Amino acid sequence: MKNLLEIHDAHVYIGSFYILQGVSLVVPKGEVTLLLGRNGAGKTTTMKSILGIYPPSEGKIVFKGEEISNLPTHKIVNKGIGYVPDTRRIFGTLTVEQNLIISRRKGTSKDVMEERLELVFDLFPDMKGFMKQRAGTLSGGQQQMLAVARALMNENDLLLIDEPTEGLSPLLAKNLINALDRLKEFATILLVEQNFRTVSKLGDNFYIFDNGKIVHEGDNIAELIADKELVAQYLGVSI
Amino acid sequence: MTMQTERFSSHDYMENHPQVIKILVWTIVLIVIAAILVVVGIVNNRLDLAILLIVAAALLVVAAIVNNRLVSAICLIVIGAILIVVAIDVYTLEGVIVKASKSFVNGLALSMLLFLMVSGFFLIFGLCDVINFAHGAFFMLGGFMGFVIYLGTEALFLDPNLPFLLLFGANHYVMSVFAFIVSALGATAIMALIGGGIEFFTIRRLYGNSIAQILLTVGFMFIITQAAEIIWGPPQFSYFIIPGSSSQLDTFFMGGVLVFGDIIFETYNIFLIFLGFAVGGLMFLGFRKTRIGLQIQAGIEDKEMVEALGTDIRKLFTIVFMLGAGLAGLSGAVLVPMIGASSGHGLTYLIYAFVIVVVGGAHYGRFEGTFFGALIVGLSIQFSSYFIPFLENIIVFIIMVIILIVKPGGLTGHE
Repeated sequence: MKNLLEIHDAHVYIGSFYILQGVSLVVPKGEVTLLLGRNGAGKTTTMKSILGIYPPSEGKIVFKGEEISNLPTHKIVNKGIGYVPDTRRIFGTLTVEQNLIISRRKGTSKDVMEERLELVFDLFPDMKGFMKQRAGTLSGGQQQMLAVARALMNENDLLLIDEPTEGLSPLLAKNLINALDRLKEFATILLVEQNFRTVSKLGDNFYIFDNGKIVHEGDNIAELIADKELVAQYLGVSI
Repeated sequence: MTMQTERFSSHDYMENHPQVIKILVWTIVLIVIAAILVVVGIVNNRLDLAILLIVAAALLVVAAIVNNRLVSAICLIVIGAILIVVAIDVYTLEGVIVKASKSFVNGLALSMLLFLMVSGFFLIFGLCDVINFAHGAFFMLGGFMGFVIYLGTEALFLDPNLPFLLLFGANHYVMSVFAFIVSALGATAIMALIGGGIEFFTIRRLYGNSIAQILLTVGFMFIITQAAEIIWGPPQFSYFIIPGSSSQLDTFFMGGVLVFGDIIFETYNIFLIFLGFAVGGLMFLGFRKTRIGLQIQAGIEDKEMVEALGTDIRKLFTIVFMLGAGLAGLSGAVLVPMIGASSGHGLTYLIYAFVIVVVGGAHYGRFEGTFFGALIVGLSIQFSSYFIPFLENIIVFIIMVIILIVKPGGLTGHE
């Protein structure tokens, strides 16, 4: 099985808005796949439809060879998906430690969580210092570390990571990208990132979204960076 | 030109000077209170006390208007002193001490149990976003369940054909202890099942549709209340556990009194205070230390994210409904010896639940506000029943209005 996740012609409505208009993509096992595109192009909605938060009304989503399009969110996640949402969405009234405790799923043993905690401390050594702190009082960078750590508490096959460097200082963003680079050996990653140059070292597969459709796909991000016309047209950034 | 005329309209003036509106409102409130007090004073031939109380009301207004904590505190102390002086004048010093200590203990007991009842209401609202109008009915039904189970258990204990009589050796005190434990646990379990059942079979279909939820829970309130009226009679009937009368046992395990000179406390009310603290403490620990407690807290903040971490949020909803209804059942059952079981309690205590949440401030996932709200409601009901009985039924609303004028978001909420 080469592809961990496949989306076949997914159409997604949120209320009466037609958001994803026939999206098809594959996430090869063991690699990093990037979703690029302007705000509102449908990247986050794609992630949420994988999670079953916005299930597709047409088309299907296949994870590990099994269709998951019509399952409830918690069942999909229990098949081995970790989610790092775009606005962090950590639980502010709980401590960092408590945030991590409730992220361990029923099927994950406490020993695995201990191991994963070691990995987290290895990736983000600073986290040891604020385990007992209320998550709502953390800085933006610390909250982002927690949001990533939360997805690592289980042995997930796929990590959905949405805009991890948003709002972080360049130095923090670089540290986080380095951490994600190390995570490649633990899980397949589907990554949404506006700032695609900073993540170009993570992987080569990419899809460009525009108005709910995939308008371009490729497996060599260096070529994309070189293609100034394409970048200006769909990613809205000039050099 | 039009700009010119508008500049001088009183409406604009008010908008630019909010302080003026505040003073105006308070003056009107004060005049109304003063008028009532003067009438009451003249009727009772005690105009002097009425004037003292008007001074106290005026000080309350000052305390509310000034933005100075020290001045406010001094005003409140003087108000307290005036109230004590008036009370001593009316009831004599001994009378005041007796009444004050009794109302304090009884009020604290009532508050603790109200807190348990309302925390269930609050949890259901916080996690499931459902305003459970049937919560008072759960509380009322819990009372009847406690009453019925207590009598049923003692009948079993006294049945000569069953082994219990041999076991307890006709010791009515021990029988009463066990019957009480069975009734409290039984009422909790039955109400938890009823609450969970209502969630699972009906409310579950209506998440996200708040109008339908309100209609549904109001419907359940009427159904439960009517059923109770059919079985146990209209609200005029209150059922108490009375040894030798409604109860066949010749004693109720905490039916005695504690005597300190002139002051007589009912032991049961002191027991209730401890029970309330114990259950409240257990709940607090449960929310801090257990996985499911943490998940519920997290769910109050962000349901979708809890689901995206792999937890079945619907299961949590059912659990919270069971917990909330169970707490209502428990508090209803153990309050029977104090307030009795009556089909009228459903509506009364639903309204108290609203008052407590409004007064305390609906802070998401935090119980502090609910706790203080319950203290205020419980204490003020008991104090007024001893000192100003004609206000007993409306005192909580008066206090609610005052608190809402001073702090629109409730005690702990944001404005």
